[in-house]
Amino acid sequence: MKPISLLGVASYLPPTIVSNDFFAPGAGSRRGMFTAPTTRRHVQRDETAAAMIERAAQRLVAKLSLDAARDIDILFTNVALPDQAFTGCGAEVAHRLGCQPRWIVDLHNTGCVSFIYMMELARTIMDGSDARGALLCNVQNAAGRVFSHPEVKKTTQAPVPGDGCGVGYVAAGASSPVLSVVHRCQPEFAADMRAHAADGRQYWEPGLSPITLGFTDERVAAIINRGNRIVPEVVRAACDAAGVNLSDVKLLVTNQPNPIFLRNWREALGFSREAHHDTFDVYGNLFGAAIPINLEDALEHGKLGRGDIVALGGFSHAGDYAASAILRW
Amino acid sequence: MKTIDPAALEGIRGLVRCEEFDREALGERVTEMTHAVYPHDQVYGQYCTIHAHIDCPPDAVFAYMANPLSLMEWTYSVRDLRPTGKRDLLVGVDAADTPIYCRTVSNEGARTVDYHCAWDQGDDLWMIYLNRVVPAEQVLRRSGSVVIWTNCRHPYYDKNPFPALSPKPDRAWVGDWWPLFYAGHTIELENLKLILEYRHRRGLPLGPQLREA
Repeated sequence: MKPISLLGVASYLPPTIVSNDFFAPGAGSRRGMFTAPTTRRHVQRDETAAAMIERAAQRLVAKLSLDAARDIDILFTNVALPDQAFTGCGAEVAHRLGCQPRWIVDLHNTGCVSFIYMMELARTIMDGSDARGALLCNVQNAAGRVFSHPEVKKTTQAPVPGDGCGVGYVAAGASSPVLSVVHRCQPEFAADMRAHAADGRQYWEPGLSPITLGFTDERVAAIINRGNRIVPEVVRAACDAAGVNLSDVKLLVTNQPNPIFLRNWREALGFSREAHHDTFDVYGNLFGAAIPINLEDALEHGKLGRGDIVALGGFSHAGDYAASAILRW
Repeated sequence: MKTIDPAALEGIRGLVRCEEFDREALGERVTEMTHAVYPHDQVYGQYCTIHAHIDCPPDAVFAYMANPLSLMEWTYSVRDLRPTGKRDLLVGVDAADTPIYCRTVSNEGARTVDYHCAWDQGDDLWMIYLNRVVPAEQVLRRSGSVVIWTNCRHPYYDKNPFPALSPKPDRAWVGDWWPLFYAGHTIELENLKLILEYRHRRGLPLGPQLREA
C-alpha cells in the first residue's frame, strides 16, 4: 500500500463554557463512570456541525498552508448529531471551504474511533486512485443538543459529554507516516446503546419528552469490561502491525469516555499520566472529536516531537468498534 | 423473622450498605475500584490464593490431599517425609537439604486440608497452606472439584525467626521467594491436577503410590 501521513490536526471548541452548577446538584462530586469534568463546552442551538468544521478546517488549512480547492480530494465527516435528518454535512462543508473533493463520505458509524477509521478509509481510497489529500472531520455536538435540555441535564450522565470539533489532514507520502491501523468491529454490541425518550416514542415521532442517549444499567458492567479489554488489546495489535514496541511509543492519545477508562488503559499499557494526554477535565467526553482535539492539545503542550511515535486508540459506543493507529510524527 | 437491632452497627464507620449507599453511589465506588490490570504485588503481595479445576471427585481429591505423604508426589521439592515421634508431625526435606516439618489438619465435612509447616524446626509451624476442595458440580455445574489454595504472608516469611537452625549460613530463606509463590504454587497445583486426572481417568488407585524405602 502507498504510505500516507497525518500532516496535522486542528480544533474548534464552541465558546459556551458550562460549569457543573448547570446540572443536577452534586454533579461535580460524582465519581466512577459518570465523573463530571470541571467544565465542558456546549454548542448553541444555531451552531451547526458544518460551521464548526469550517472553523477548525480553516485553522488547519492555514497551519499547513493548504489550498483547499486543490489539496482536498477526499472529505470525511462524522457528526454525533447530524444537522439534518436525511443527509450528512460533507457537501455543505465542501461548499464552505471552497473545495471540490471527488469523494465526500458522511460516516455515521465508528463514533469515538471514527478519526482512526477515516485514516484507514483515506489510505484505501488513495491506494486505488490518484487522490492525494483527505480532510477528516469529527464533530461532537450531543452535549449542547441533547444533554442541555432542562430535563436531560438532570440525569447522571448529562455532565460528562462536551462538544468540540477536531479535524485532521492526511496526505499521500511518508513524511510523518501512519505505520499501522487496526480496527475491529464487534457487531454483537451494536444494539447496546440507544437513543430513547421517557414516553417510549421513537426519536422521529412527535412528543413532549426529550430524547437522551444511554446504556441500560445492566449493560454498564459489561461495557466497562469490554472497554478495559479491547482498547489495550487493539493498541498492542497496532504496535505489532507497525513493528513497534509499546515502550517506544512516546504518546498515547485515546478517546475519553471518563477518567476510569483513561486510568485503566494507561495502567494496562504501562503509560504514565503525562504520556497519555487527555483533556477530559476541561472538555469532557468529546466522542469522536477527542482524538484530534487531544492530539492538537498534546502538540501544543510540547509532548510530541518530530519522529516520535504516537499511538491513537479507543472504542466507540458500547464497544461495537475499536481501533488503533501508530504514527511516526 | 428477625431484623437487625437498629443499634447493632452504630459507631462502625466505613460500612457500605444499601440504606446509606444507593445504587448510584455503589456504582461510582465499584467502577472506581475496577481496573483493567492489577500489579502483581497488589494481588499477591499479602495473600496468595490460587485455584484450579480438577476432574476428579471431591471426596477423592480430599482423601488424596489429606494424606500428607501425597506431598511427595505433587509438590516440587518436599521429599522423604517420615514420622518425628511427635503426634501427626512429619519431617522431610525441602529444597534439597532443608528439614521441613509438617502437620496436616483436615476436616472431612468441610473438605479442608491445611498443611502447617516450618523449615528447620517443628515447634512453631507458621507456614500454613490452606486448602479447600469444593464440588465443581455445585459451583461450576461440571464434574470434578475446585481446589482453592491460600497462603498468608506470615511475618516470618520476611525474616527467618530461627537463623541459627539453618543448615547452611548462606541458604536462601523461604520467604525470599514470596514474590514467586503465585507461580511456584501454580506449578504444584498443576502437578496435583495432572496426577489426579491421570489416575482418575484410567480408573487407577489415586495414591499416593508408596513403597518401603
